[in-house]
Amino acid sequence: MEIRIQNVSMTYPNGKQALKDLNLDLQTPSLIGLLGPNGAGKSTLMKLLVAALMPTSGSIQVDGMPLAKTDRLLKAQLGYLPQDFGLFDELTVVQFLDYMVALKGLRDPKTAIQEVIRAVNLEEKAKAKIRTLSGGQRQRVGIAQALLGNPPFLIFDEPTVGLDPEERIHFRNLFSQTAQNRLVLLSTHIIEDVQSVCDQLVVIDHGRILFTGTPAQLIQAAVGHVGVFWEREVTQGQGLHITSRVNTSQGIRCRAVADTLPAYAQPEEPSLEDAYLYLILQEAIQ
Amino acid sequence: MCKIFRYECKRLLWNKFFVGLLLVVLFYGWQVLNSVTILGVSHTAPFSPWSFGDYLSRMSPLLWIGALLFLTFFTSPKARRTAVLIDATQVVPRKYVLTRCAAALVGTGLLTLACLVEAAVFYGWYFGWFDWGTLLFPALVTLVPLLIFALGSGWILGSIKPWLVYSWMLIPFVCMALPLPKTLGIWDGSFFNEYPLTLGTLDPSFTMPVTVIMMQCILLAAGAALLFFHSGKNRGS
Repeated sequence: MEIRIQNVSMTYPNGKQALKDLNLDLQTPSLIGLLGPNGAGKSTLMKLLVAALMPTSGSIQVDGMPLAKTDRLLKAQLGYLPQDFGLFDELTVVQFLDYMVALKGLRDPKTAIQEVIRAVNLEEKAKAKIRTLSGGQRQRVGIAQALLGNPPFLIFDEPTVGLDPEERIHFRNLFSQTAQNRLVLLSTHIIEDVQSVCDQLVVIDHGRILFTGTPAQLIQAAVGHVGVFWEREVTQGQGLHITSRVNTSQGIRCRAVADTLPAYAQPEEPSLEDAYLYLILQEAIQ
Repeated sequence: MCKIFRYECKRLLWNKFFVGLLLVVLFYGWQVLNSVTILGVSHTAPFSPWSFGDYLSRMSPLLWIGALLFLTFFTSPKARRTAVLIDATQVVPRKYVLTRCAAALVGTGLLTLACLVEAAVFYGWYFGWFDWGTLLFPALVTLVPLLIFALGSGWILGSIKPWLVYSWMLIPFVCMALPLPKTLGIWDGSFFNEYPLTLGTLDPSFTMPVTVIMMQCILLAAGAALLFFHSGKNRGS
């Protein structure tokens, strides 16, 4: 599957411009992490990709065909977990998934449901009413419905929200396995979620793409811009963006990103989080 | 779509809300039958189509509200949040909406059936009267257009703003308060009380002016058209 986004802009009826002249190519197999601060335009991009919104200008092509004309074809191959979604509280987990199987027109519903229930660790709650589930369990039902029928294109918008750390690790691994022969787009503002599993990153802010490439390339761009220092050494903090402060027996140890590191800062190997913050900082300065 | 229909029926009917609504309808119906219908309207027998029509007119605001309450299962803000998932599937919107509408119709139909069965039990119990076939025409003309119009108009309004469905529930009460033209006499019940008196005979056989029938046909067509129009535009809500 190949999705080509060309010069896409999206302005909402209230005048808010969510995306500006976006260009992006997505190809199977890939697990693409879509990063960006809140309000960057990630969810809008996802809505455009599932044909829930139409772009104000530009085009989206799926395997060479315009999305506007082939949206049903795309939806037949799509698994989508939106950021904000509801479930039918009156139904049990199995019944809800059975309902979604019917909507997706899948054959062999029983096997499809069993597979996804096992994948999201909901065997114990399979026959429980959805209204009795916790927030994390509801999120897992959301992920399960997206995985139904092994669709070749998966979109997850903030999938790990509400999940405990153990579940988050489980799902990261699940997404990674899933992406071996599929196209998976994972939108999040949690760097840890994409750090270990994504082979490609797209960083978006204020509706514009700031970066596309591998995590290693993003980290490479931040080399020389991350440093550590003692807080007492700080003489001038201008241009420094402190990313962590750790209390030690010798004082407070700070880690920061900056366009130009001050003399008192000792350069450090950047993490993906540092690199992301550096990129966002650069954008803010410009 | 059969599976979706079954699940939608289960959502609408297998809950305390439906049981509560059914009990309210049955309680109110029994009150009307025992206090108004038992006396007969416009010098006709309690089991005449006129008295029965009057009973249905008095029940129609509750049935109208019931039909709209079923729609809130599909138009509420909570239901809209589920629509995001449904919109991402390949289901044909018109088929899906009409399936849900069929489930709402089943719910409304069951409430209506409860009213009719209650009246039948009442007539049999008190008067030993079982000639129910004569009541079919007033029942169809009174209730079918009203309820189809409730579903069609309510669904359109609910898809615009969920709270509009609740406001629309007040329409029968507004109709009772306003001086409606005679062609809309079924809506405020005046037709069954006043029209027999104009026929100049005692206990006249049931007839309806063409204008009243036409008005009911227009309502039915409008309700069906609104449903069809809505089903082509929306999917989840």
